[in-house]
Amino acid sequence: MTMQLFFDILAIGFLLAGLFFMFVGALGVVRLPDAYHRLHAASKCSTLGLMGLVAAAMCHVGTLDVMTKSIAVVLFAFVATPVGSHMLAKAAHRDGAEQWKDTLSDELAEDKAKSAEDDEAPGSKKKARHRAA
Amino acid sequence: MHTTCLHNLMAAASTDKAAPAAEVASAAQPALLAVATIGVGILVVGMLLCLYRMIRGPHLADRVLAGDTMAMLVAGLVVVLAVKYSTSMFYDAALVVAILGFASTVAFSQYMGAKHKTSDRPDPADTAEVGP
Repeated sequence: MTMQLFFDILAIGFLLAGLFFMFVGALGVVRLPDAYHRLHAASKCSTLGLMGLVAAAMCHVGTLDVMTKSIAVVLFAFVATPVGSHMLAKAAHRDGAEQWKDTLSDELAEDKAKSAEDDEAPGSKKKARHRAA
Repeated sequence: MHTTCLHNLMAAASTDKAAPAAEVASAAQPALLAVATIGVGILVVGMLLCLYRMIRGPHLADRVLAGDTMAMLVAGLVVVLAVKYSTSMFYDAALVVAILGFASTVAFSQYMGAKHKTSDRPDPADTAEVGP
Protein backbone atom coordinates (compact mmCIF):
# COMPACT_ATOMS: atom_id res chain seq x y z
CA MET A 1 0.00 0.00 0.00
CA THR A 2 2.65 2.48 0.94
CA MET A 3 4.72 1.28 -2.00
CA GLN A 4 1.76 1.96 -4.27
CA LEU A 5 1.37 5.42 -2.72
CA PHE A 6 5.03 6.17 -3.36
CA PHE A 7 4.78 5.07 -6.98
CA ASP A 8 1.59 7.07 -7.52
CA ILE A 9 3.21 10.25 -6.18
CA LEU A 10 6.20 9.56 -8.44
CA ALA A 11 3.80 9.09 -11.34
CA ILE A 12 2.15 12.44 -10.60
CA GLY A 13 5.55 14.11 -10.69
CA PHE A 14 6.54 12.47 -13.96
CA LEU A 15 3.15 13.24 -15.47
CA LEU A 16 3.38 16.93 -14.57
CA ALA A 17 6.92 17.16 -15.97
CA GLY A 18 5.93 15.41 -19.19
CA LEU A 19 2.86 17.56 -19.67
CA PHE A 20 4.93 20.69 -19.07
CA PHE A 21 7.46 19.73 -21.71
CA MET A 22 4.78 18.66 -24.19
CA PHE A 23 2.91 21.93 -23.81
CA VAL A 24 6.07 24.02 -24.03
CA GLY A 25 7.02 22.17 -27.21
CA ALA A 26 3.65 22.86 -28.80
CA LEU A 27 3.82 26.49 -27.68
CA GLY A 28 7.29 26.81 -29.19
CA VAL A 29 6.03 25.39 -32.47
CA VAL A 30 3.55 28.25 -32.60
CA ARG A 31 5.52 31.11 -31.12
CA LEU A 32 9.12 30.82 -32.36
CA PRO A 33 10.12 32.92 -35.36
CA ASP A 34 11.41 30.56 -38.05
CA ALA A 35 11.50 26.90 -39.02
CA TYR A 36 14.84 26.10 -37.37
CA HIS A 37 13.84 27.57 -34.02
CA ARG A 38 10.58 25.63 -34.25
CA LEU A 39 12.48 22.42 -34.94
CA HIS A 40 14.61 23.06 -31.87
CA ALA A 41 11.56 23.42 -29.64
CA ALA A 42 9.64 20.55 -31.20
CA SER A 43 12.32 17.87 -31.13
CA LYS A 44 13.71 18.47 -27.66
CA CYS A 45 10.45 19.08 -25.89
CA SER A 46 8.54 16.26 -27.52
CA THR A 47 11.32 13.80 -26.68
CA LEU A 48 11.49 14.88 -23.03
CA GLY A 49 7.71 15.10 -22.71
CA LEU A 50 7.13 11.63 -24.10
CA MET A 51 9.80 10.30 -21.76
CA GLY A 52 8.06 11.86 -18.76
CA LEU A 53 4.63 10.54 -19.69
CA VAL A 54 5.98 7.06 -20.36
CA ALA A 55 7.81 7.09 -17.02
CA ALA A 56 4.53 7.99 -15.33
CA ALA A 57 2.82 5.06 -17.02
CA MET A 58 5.65 2.77 -15.95
CA CYS A 59 5.27 3.93 -12.34
CA HIS A 60 1.50 3.69 -12.24
CA VAL A 61 0.58 0.62 -14.29
CA GLY A 62 3.80 -1.30 -13.94
CA THR A 63 2.95 -4.62 -15.53
CA LEU A 64 5.43 -6.47 -17.70
CA ASP A 65 4.01 -5.57 -21.10
CA VAL A 66 3.74 -1.90 -20.16
CA MET A 67 7.37 -1.96 -19.03
CA THR A 68 8.64 -3.53 -22.26
CA LYS A 69 6.56 -1.32 -24.53
CA SER A 70 7.59 1.78 -22.53
CA ILE A 71 11.24 0.95 -22.95
CA ALA A 72 10.64 0.37 -26.67
CA VAL A 73 8.83 3.71 -27.05
CA VAL A 74 11.50 5.66 -25.15
CA LEU A 75 14.38 4.07 -27.04
CA PHE A 76 12.67 4.65 -30.36
CA ALA A 77 11.85 8.29 -29.54
CA PHE A 78 15.39 8.97 -28.38
CA VAL A 79 16.87 7.52 -31.56
CA ALA A 80 14.30 8.65 -34.11
CA THR A 81 13.46 12.22 -33.11
CA PRO A 82 16.98 13.74 -33.47
CA VAL A 83 17.50 11.87 -36.73
CA GLY A 84 14.18 13.05 -38.13
CA SER A 85 14.64 16.66 -37.07
CA HIS A 86 18.17 16.71 -38.47
CA MET A 87 16.93 15.43 -41.83
CA LEU A 88 14.09 17.94 -41.78
CA ALA A 89 16.41 20.86 -40.96
CA LYS A 90 18.81 19.87 -43.73
CA ALA A 91 15.99 19.53 -46.25
CA ALA A 92 14.50 22.87 -45.18
CA HIS A 93 17.89 24.55 -45.58
CA ARG A 94 18.33 23.01 -49.00
CA ASP A 95 14.83 24.03 -49.96
CA GLY A 96 15.55 27.61 -48.90
CA ALA A 97 13.35 28.15 -45.86
CA GLU A 98 13.88 31.73 -44.81
CA GLN A 99 15.68 32.45 -41.57
CA TRP A 100 14.93 34.81 -38.77
CA LYS A 101 16.08 38.37 -39.42
CA ASP A 102 18.43 38.35 -36.41
CA THR A 103 20.17 35.08 -37.22
CA LEU A 104 23.89 35.60 -36.71
CA SER A 105 25.54 33.04 -38.95
CA ASP A 106 24.69 30.41 -41.53
CA GLU A 107 27.68 28.12 -41.59
CA LEU A 108 26.12 25.48 -43.82
CA ALA A 109 25.57 28.06 -46.57
CA GLU A 110 29.13 29.35 -46.11
CA ASP A 111 30.50 25.83 -46.38
CA LYS A 112 28.43 25.15 -49.45
CA ALA A 113 29.58 28.36 -51.13
CA LYS A 114 33.19 27.63 -50.25
CA SER A 115 33.10 24.10 -51.60
CA ALA A 116 31.32 25.32 -54.73
CA GLU A 117 33.99 27.91 -55.44
CA ASP A 118 36.67 25.32 -54.72
CA ASP A 119 35.01 23.17 -57.32
CA GLU A 120 34.81 26.08 -59.72
CA ALA A 121 38.22 27.72 -59.90
CA PRO A 122 41.09 25.61 -58.53
CA GLY A 123 39.31 22.29 -58.68
CA SER A 124 41.41 20.86 -61.46
CA LYS A 125 44.60 21.80 -59.67
CA LYS A 126 43.41 20.21 -56.45
CA LYS A 127 42.39 17.08 -58.26
CA ALA A 128 45.77 16.98 -60.00
CA ARG A 129 47.50 17.31 -56.64
CA HIS A 130 45.36 14.53 -55.25
CA ARG A 131 46.28 12.30 -58.13
CA ALA A 132 49.96 13.13 -57.78
CA ALA A 133 49.94 12.39 -54.06
CA MET B 1 -30.40 12.81 -2.24
CA HIS B 2 -31.33 9.28 -3.06
CA THR B 3 -28.95 9.22 -5.95
CA THR B 4 -26.05 10.46 -3.82
CA CYS B 5 -26.82 7.82 -1.19
CA LEU B 6 -26.88 5.20 -3.87
CA HIS B 7 -23.65 6.54 -5.31
CA ASN B 8 -21.93 6.43 -1.94
CA LEU B 9 -23.18 2.92 -1.40
CA MET B 10 -21.90 1.82 -4.78
CA ALA B 11 -18.55 3.49 -4.20
CA ALA B 12 -18.22 1.80 -0.80
CA ALA B 13 -19.17 -1.55 -2.28
CA SER B 14 -16.74 -1.16 -5.14
CA THR B 15 -13.87 -0.17 -2.85
CA ASP B 16 -14.73 -3.05 -0.55
CA LYS B 17 -14.63 -5.39 -3.47
CA ALA B 18 -11.57 -3.87 -5.11
CA ALA B 19 -9.38 -3.37 -2.06
CA PRO B 20 -8.65 -7.00 -1.16
CA ALA B 21 -8.43 -8.11 -4.76
CA ALA B 22 -5.51 -5.94 -5.79
CA GLU B 23 -4.25 -2.93 -3.91
CA VAL B 24 -4.56 -0.43 -6.73
CA ALA B 25 -6.39 2.26 -4.79
CA SER B 26 -3.79 4.29 -2.92
CA ALA B 27 -4.32 7.65 -1.30
CA ALA B 28 -2.80 9.47 -4.27
CA GLN B 29 -5.12 7.81 -6.79
CA PRO B 30 -7.67 10.70 -7.05
CA ALA B 31 -4.91 13.25 -7.51
CA LEU B 32 -3.37 11.09 -10.21
CA LEU B 33 -6.71 10.76 -11.97
CA ALA B 34 -7.24 14.53 -11.77
CA VAL B 35 -3.77 15.22 -13.19
CA ALA B 36 -4.38 12.74 -16.01
CA THR B 37 -7.74 14.30 -16.82
CA ILE B 38 -6.24 17.78 -16.91
CA GLY B 39 -3.35 16.40 -18.96
CA VAL B 40 -5.71 15.18 -21.66
CA GLY B 41 -6.98 18.75 -21.96
CA ILE B 42 -3.44 20.16 -22.05
CA LEU B 43 -2.42 17.75 -24.80
CA VAL B 44 -5.53 18.61 -26.81
CA VAL B 45 -4.69 22.32 -26.51
CA GLY B 46 -1.16 21.52 -27.71
CA MET B 47 -2.62 19.65 -30.67
CA LEU B 48 -4.72 22.68 -31.55
CA LEU B 49 -1.59 24.87 -31.43
CA CYS B 50 0.18 22.44 -33.76
CA LEU B 51 -2.85 22.45 -36.04
CA TYR B 52 -2.64 26.24 -36.19
CA ARG B 53 1.00 26.03 -37.24
CA MET B 54 0.18 23.30 -39.75
CA ILE B 55 -2.48 25.45 -41.40
CA ARG B 56 -0.62 28.74 -41.18
CA GLY B 57 3.01 27.62 -41.69
CA PRO B 58 4.76 29.62 -44.35
CA HIS B 59 7.06 26.83 -45.46
CA LEU B 60 6.53 23.11 -46.00
CA ALA B 61 9.04 22.36 -43.24
CA ASP B 62 6.82 24.18 -40.73
CA ARG B 63 3.86 22.01 -41.65
CA VAL B 64 5.93 18.84 -41.48
CA LEU B 65 7.38 19.64 -38.08
CA ALA B 66 3.93 20.59 -36.80
CA GLY B 67 2.73 17.17 -37.95
CA ASP B 68 5.67 15.48 -36.23
CA THR B 69 4.96 17.32 -32.99
CA MET B 70 1.31 16.41 -33.30
CA ALA B 71 2.23 12.74 -33.70
CA MET B 72 4.31 12.96 -30.53
CA LEU B 73 1.37 14.63 -28.75
CA VAL B 74 -0.94 11.84 -29.87
CA ALA B 75 1.51 9.25 -28.56
CA GLY B 76 1.64 11.14 -25.26
CA LEU B 77 -2.16 11.29 -25.19
CA VAL B 78 -2.35 7.52 -25.61
CA VAL B 79 0.09 7.10 -22.73
CA VAL B 80 -1.89 9.49 -20.52
CA LEU B 81 -5.08 7.58 -21.27
CA ALA B 82 -3.29 4.37 -20.32
CA VAL B 83 -2.40 6.01 -17.00
CA LYS B 84 -5.94 7.29 -16.50
CA TYR B 85 -7.66 3.96 -17.08
CA SER B 86 -4.64 2.05 -15.68
CA THR B 87 -4.69 -0.44 -18.49
CA SER B 88 -2.18 -1.48 -21.12
CA MET B 89 -4.50 -1.78 -24.07
CA PHE B 90 -3.42 1.42 -25.81
CA TYR B 91 0.33 1.02 -25.66
CA ASP B 92 0.69 -0.50 -29.11
CA ALA B 93 -1.08 2.57 -30.46
CA ALA B 94 1.57 4.82 -28.88
CA LEU B 95 4.38 2.86 -30.50
CA VAL B 96 2.62 2.80 -33.88
CA VAL B 97 1.91 6.54 -33.82
CA ALA B 98 5.52 7.35 -32.90
CA ILE B 99 6.84 5.17 -35.73
CA LEU B 100 4.38 6.67 -38.22
CA GLY B 101 5.36 10.21 -37.23
CA PHE B 102 9.04 9.46 -37.72
CA ALA B 103 8.41 7.75 -41.07
CA SER B 104 6.30 10.64 -42.37
CA THR B 105 8.94 13.16 -41.27
CA VAL B 106 11.67 11.24 -43.10
CA ALA B 107 9.49 10.88 -46.20
CA PHE B 108 8.62 14.58 -46.31
CA SER B 109 12.22 15.67 -45.80
CA GLN B 110 13.32 13.37 -48.61
CA TYR B 111 10.60 14.91 -50.75
CA MET B 112 11.79 18.43 -50.02
CA GLY B 113 15.43 17.64 -50.69
CA ALA B 114 14.69 15.71 -53.86
CA LYS B 115 12.43 18.45 -55.20
CA HIS B 116 15.16 21.01 -54.79
CA LYS B 117 17.87 18.75 -56.19
CA THR B 118 16.07 18.08 -59.45
CA SER B 119 15.02 21.69 -59.97
CA ASP B 120 18.21 23.52 -59.03
CA ARG B 121 20.92 21.24 -60.33
CA PRO B 122 20.01 20.01 -63.76
CA ASP B 123 23.52 18.78 -64.54
CA PRO B 124 25.03 16.06 -62.31
CA ALA B 125 28.57 17.03 -63.31
CA ASP B 126 29.40 19.17 -60.25
CA THR B 127 28.04 16.63 -57.81
CA ALA B 128 30.11 13.84 -59.39
CA GLU B 129 33.37 15.57 -58.49
CA VAL B 130 34.04 13.56 -55.35
CA GLY B 131 36.28 10.67 -56.30
CA PRO B 132 38.97 8.58 -54.72
